[in-house]
Amino acid sequence: MVSDTSNTNLKSEGQCQEGKSMAEERKSRKTATEAAAKVPKIVRANLTENLKAKEEGKLVAYTFIVCLLDEIMRSMDVVPAWGESYSGICAAKRDSGRFLEKAEAEDFSRSLCTYATCNLGFDIWRQELGGAMPPDAPWGGIARPDVILASGQMLCDPRFKWPQATQHYLQDVPIHVSGYYWPPWDPKIDQKEVEAYYVKYTVEELRDVVRFLEKHTGRKMDWDRLAELVDLVDKTWDMFYRTYELRRAMPTPMDTGDAMNTMVPLAFMLGTQEAYDFYKDLYDELSRKIANKEGVVADEKYRLLWGAGLPSWFALSDFLYFNSKGAVFPVERTYREAELIEHLDLPKTNDPLERIAWRWTRYYTNWFDRARKRPGSLPEVERLIEYIENYNIDGVVFHQAFSCRTWHAGIILQAEILKKVYRDVPVMIMEGDIVDISSYNEADVHNRIDAFIETLEAAKSKRA
Amino acid sequence: MNGTEGQNTGQGNGLATAERYYREYGLRAKELHRQGKGVMGYLSALGPVEIITAAGLVPLRLKGDVSEPITKADVHMETIVCPFVRNVFDAVLKGTYGYLDGIVIPHLCDSTSRTYDTWAYNVPLPYSFFLNVPHSSDAPSIGFFKSVLGTFIKSLEQLTGKNITDEALAQSVKAHNKNRQTMRQLYSLRQSNPPLISGVEMTHVLVAAMGLPVDESTQLIASVIGEVKARAPKAKGSDSARIMILGDQIDNTAMVEIVENAGATVVMDDVSIGAKVYWRDAEETKNPLDGIAERYLRRIPLPTTFVGAGKDYQESLEDRFGHIRGYVKDFSVNGAILFIYKYCDPYGFEVPALKSYIEALKVPVLYVEDEYSTSTIGRLKTRIEAFLEMIG
Repeated sequence: MVSDTSNTNLKSEGQCQEGKSMAEERKSRKTATEAAAKVPKIVRANLTENLKAKEEGKLVAYTFIVCLLDEIMRSMDVVPAWGESYSGICAAKRDSGRFLEKAEAEDFSRSLCTYATCNLGFDIWRQELGGAMPPDAPWGGIARPDVILASGQMLCDPRFKWPQATQHYLQDVPIHVSGYYWPPWDPKIDQKEVEAYYVKYTVEELRDVVRFLEKHTGRKMDWDRLAELVDLVDKTWDMFYRTYELRRAMPTPMDTGDAMNTMVPLAFMLGTQEAYDFYKDLYDELSRKIANKEGVVADEKYRLLWGAGLPSWFALSDFLYFNSKGAVFPVERTYREAELIEHLDLPKTNDPLERIAWRWTRYYTNWFDRARKRPGSLPEVERLIEYIENYNIDGVVFHQAFSCRTWHAGIILQAEILKKVYRDVPVMIMEGDIVDISSYNEADVHNRIDAFIETLEAAKSKRA
Repeated sequence: MNGTEGQNTGQGNGLATAERYYREYGLRAKELHRQGKGVMGYLSALGPVEIITAAGLVPLRLKGDVSEPITKADVHMETIVCPFVRNVFDAVLKGTYGYLDGIVIPHLCDSTSRTYDTWAYNVPLPYSFFLNVPHSSDAPSIGFFKSVLGTFIKSLEQLTGKNITDEALAQSVKAHNKNRQTMRQLYSLRQSNPPLISGVEMTHVLVAAMGLPVDESTQLIASVIGEVKARAPKAKGSDSARIMILGDQIDNTAMVEIVENAGATVVMDDVSIGAKVYWRDAEETKNPLDGIAERYLRRIPLPTTFVGAGKDYQESLEDRFGHIRGYVKDFSVNGAILFIYKYCDPYGFEVPALKSYIEALKVPVLYVEDEYSTSTIGRLKTRIEAFLEMIG
């Protein structure tokens, strides 16, 4: 989502020249797609927009992805500042340690979400400097927020605890916490019996966010504009879905290494024309690559699914190591937070807030019926199975980041159930973190990848 | 064991009974299960005990065993999950709670919500339910939570084959309120100098109370009150440190023993098996679910539910921690131990704010992040003793 060219994908490890420093070596690497190569510039532009917004008198909001607030913020000209993204940038530049230590010195444990603690360390430092950016802040730093839009929800606790922790240092910054939940998976309960009250609640909470922003921006919501942006997000989801489906091609024209960059418009720019255009351009680019039979690696030996988990932003080059072994990732569950709208069977409504609520609720629950048809399965596992079949997958890789429970607890279960209800697909669970590089050892990771490649080879021979 | 052996049978032996139930946790529930009564295990302070009782089931709050190493859970549950949750899961897998008829896991935090499927798929029980408690507590959140509770009630009715009437709910709310009021009476006996009940004894009572049917629990607490009140008050007050412990499910005496063996006394707590759940009643409303929903979202000061209130930071602090100010004053607290389990985002993110709030009350704070295990007890002992020495 955030890496600059120093840490992104390349076609061949052999492009690295001996005798160069590590930083120089990484700089020479190229992404597989032109779209992914554009992402660092886009992320920088987003940060610049944050900083300029302050000068232009626009409201800057710290907020978090998958909080359902994209269209609301964009239609009210509120400029989002994404702490998750900024911590990822610090990690990709291998410059998060000093911020993590700053937070730790304040008694924030190293076992807490490191997106949060990195950002907290940054904010604490800035406060100590009387509002000036910490020295050599990666990419110029993230803007100080005017408000924080928090979210109490299924996805993760830091979405509402991190803002409270931030406010301990930025005491003048108001916080708004909204609630957004989706029905939990329960094979005994038909989600359709409960969806309506979940959606009703989400709509009420979103309406409260609108009131909060009206108060702090001093302007009224333009409901027609909001409705247009909801249309635009629907279109963007569809375009994203269709574009990513092109990666089914053999050889695949783009893998997860690039997807960790091309997720930026979906996660951080939803509700903008730029996001839609980005995926349209990517669609065209991937179509051209497929027509030219141009793959991430020339000789695809193993097609892998990134089954779950946020990546180590400081080690995206691990994807290159997989590539060097002939392994590609045509698909990943992570940051694929969009579905073809027609798959969701959304109820008709003219209320844009209801449309947002239904779209996101069904994004999760549309897998429930499929899980119910396969006794013992889980919605997450159904998604894995669909990807395994549609993308001709040989093995699944999960990443377990020690500081993040929300994405990374439940992975063992998914691997167990996949084996039980589907088949014995080779699985690898990597361990690391999203931001904290201290426990990362490249040689160990490569050894584990080597061992997994051997397992894949053995499984392939057995199946043949 | 016969049908009444596990019960508290009257005045005078409350503390001994509490200690036995503490040491053999779940003894009475097991006995009731043998007699054909349904036992519903639940995790955390958000387990809706009023509804479980109204369904005719025995609510049993699940706990782990700090002296038991985790040997079975790690195969199924990630080690980045809260060590308390992992320890309880390990206990369930080892058959410690073989007498349960079902389990309720409320949405307390990521470690509970993200592992619910792991529980449901690995624990062979006829019933399990994930209670989706929201984190916000505004009016729409109360309405939403009532709907969630409605779904829970319906599923319990299917399990038991009996309707849960409003009348049964109202009676249950009354019974649980009486239980809380009785426990608060016992707490009040800790205000004197020295307190009439030690921290270790109090922990025995708190743990025993969460494993009994509500009326038996109330009877046991009342019995302890009678026994403790009969203790002759010391003419001269003690000058030993009066300690408050804060955290989530601290359900064992290990830390309290360290404090009290060092000459100080634990006189108050803000933990989730203690004051957090006992300090405020559920309002007895016309529709009982109104009072129940409101209690869980607004009257139990947990870091995952007290998230949205307050016009500004100071109001937010008072909303979240204001009760602690009262505890410090009423119980003459002069030292606090903030004991947080590793990998706990909800409590962990509060540490600087909570620590500075308590320190502003002129109470020194020892912050410890640790496992749910006595394997680290040596280190803990050193830190607590140094802290007690510092505060004198």
